[in-house]
Amino acid sequence: MRTNLLAISMMLVLGSALAGCATSGDLEKVQAQQKLIDAKADQALQDAQAAKADANAAKARADEAEKQAAERERIADEKAAKADAAFQKSMRK
Amino acid sequence: MRRIVDPSLLSSWLRLAALCLSILVLNGCAATRSVWLFQGHPEKEIERNQFPVEKGDDVIGRLATVRLEKGDTLPDIARHFSLGINAVSAANPGVDVWVPEAGDRIVLPLSFILPDAPRKGIVINLATMRLFEFKGDGKSLVVSTYPVGVGTKERPSPMGQMRVARKTALPTWHVPASIAADHRKKGDILPAEVPPGPENPLGEYALYLSKSGYLIHGTNKPASIGLKATNGCMRLYPENVKLLYNDTPVNTPVVIVNQPYLVGQRNGVLYLEAHTPLEDPGAGAVELEKAYAKLRVIEKKSGRTLDWKKVREVQVEARGIPVPIVEMSQGTEKDAAETIEVEHPDKLYGRPEIPELKMDAWYVLAADVRDEIDARRMAAIINHQGPPIPARVVSKSKNDGYRVIAGPFRDVGEARDAVKRLKIDLEIEGIVIDPVKKI
Repeated sequence: MRTNLLAISMMLVLGSALAGCATSGDLEKVQAQQKLIDAKADQALQDAQAAKADANAAKARADEAEKQAAERERIADEKAAKADAAFQKSMRK
Repeated sequence: MRRIVDPSLLSSWLRLAALCLSILVLNGCAATRSVWLFQGHPEKEIERNQFPVEKGDDVIGRLATVRLEKGDTLPDIARHFSLGINAVSAANPGVDVWVPEAGDRIVLPLSFILPDAPRKGIVINLATMRLFEFKGDGKSLVVSTYPVGVGTKERPSPMGQMRVARKTALPTWHVPASIAADHRKKGDILPAEVPPGPENPLGEYALYLSKSGYLIHGTNKPASIGLKATNGCMRLYPENVKLLYNDTPVNTPVVIVNQPYLVGQRNGVLYLEAHTPLEDPGAGAVELEKAYAKLRVIEKKSGRTLDWKKVREVQVEARGIPVPIVEMSQGTEKDAAETIEVEHPDKLYGRPEIPELKMDAWYVLAADVRDEIDARRMAAIINHQGPPIPARVVSKSKNDGYRVIAGPFRDVGEARDAVKRLKIDLEIEGIVIDPVKKI
């Protein structure tokens, strides 16, 4: 009975040891892969941030252009109104 | 093998084919007609001053449209069609008065609801800036109508009943002390009286009203018709005051009212015409309440429900055009006075002339601007001064802007006078330009 138990224990220890060896090889591979993925993620993040920055810049430019167009329109309206007011005043006796 | 055809079936097919064909033909007719109507030739002329008044009707004239051409201004269009600039601007919101887009079709509001006043003699509605002169009796009433310029907020035109006390051709203008003082403040010393001529603001004809100090007269500033620009007088285009002067005997009754909201009927259709009130909104509200009360009475009497939403829209838009509100009785003829398109005339009556450039003349540089529209607007405003100052837009040689050049002037004196007027009237600092080629 004791012999059997010993044999089983040894088999378990051996199995565990063998399994441990396989895990360490795999671990290196996985770590390498992780590094690659991590680098890729960094790149993706950078790309996304750059794209977002570009989009924000484009939006800011569009907003600015819209603001400038509105400002130009306001100035044009103001000029027209001012000119018209001066004209109306000039029509008095 | 022969196919056997059932005659009844053939007959049904034939009937169906005939039906389809007739639908197609009718459709074609309708389409052609609508295209024809759409592309209908514009009318050469449209009545603008004299209209018969049918018994029971309050609405005269008809709306029209005209397509703008390059170089047109709304004051030129207004004068040609005997309208005030107020009326053309209100009927065409958003259109630039001085630099409108060529090709745009604009509305000529040549339809009017007669003011709520006795149809006798002269009736002036200050709010619509329009004068009506009635001739004839109830059987055959004719009305002549002209646009007017009226008093400013500070010096408003009077209201109430009066009469034409006397009339004068080629009047002398005795400058009132208040106007002389206004001009003195601007550095412009006026003489005690201004004889007939281009400098005389009364123009060539004047009808003196029984209310002392108030006149119906012509003008040397035709672009002011349809503006609040007088010291209480009513001024007309030169061509209109001549007609009125010849048509109006002394003692003709004159009623001056202020009715921004007009209600009237024509051919059994009820119309509402709304104008922006002259006074501050508070006073306009009283007139509005009167118009609403009138509409409520009509609604009650006729038993027809008015479209109050539409009433409100017309009132808010205030485009100065009679808008149908409701058909008063079933089966009445639809209003025959549909909007028509009028041909653009070869020459707009009264449009300021710009003489050709002369190398031996004097000029005045009125402005140096980057934007062409600004330059065109300024040139147009200068052209429409009274008496006119000719002005044009010249592109700068390096294509980096535009100049507004007033002239040509015969001598340095004329050029300096123009500089003075530009400064006093328009606050423009003009610079005298010597002739290119000395005489």
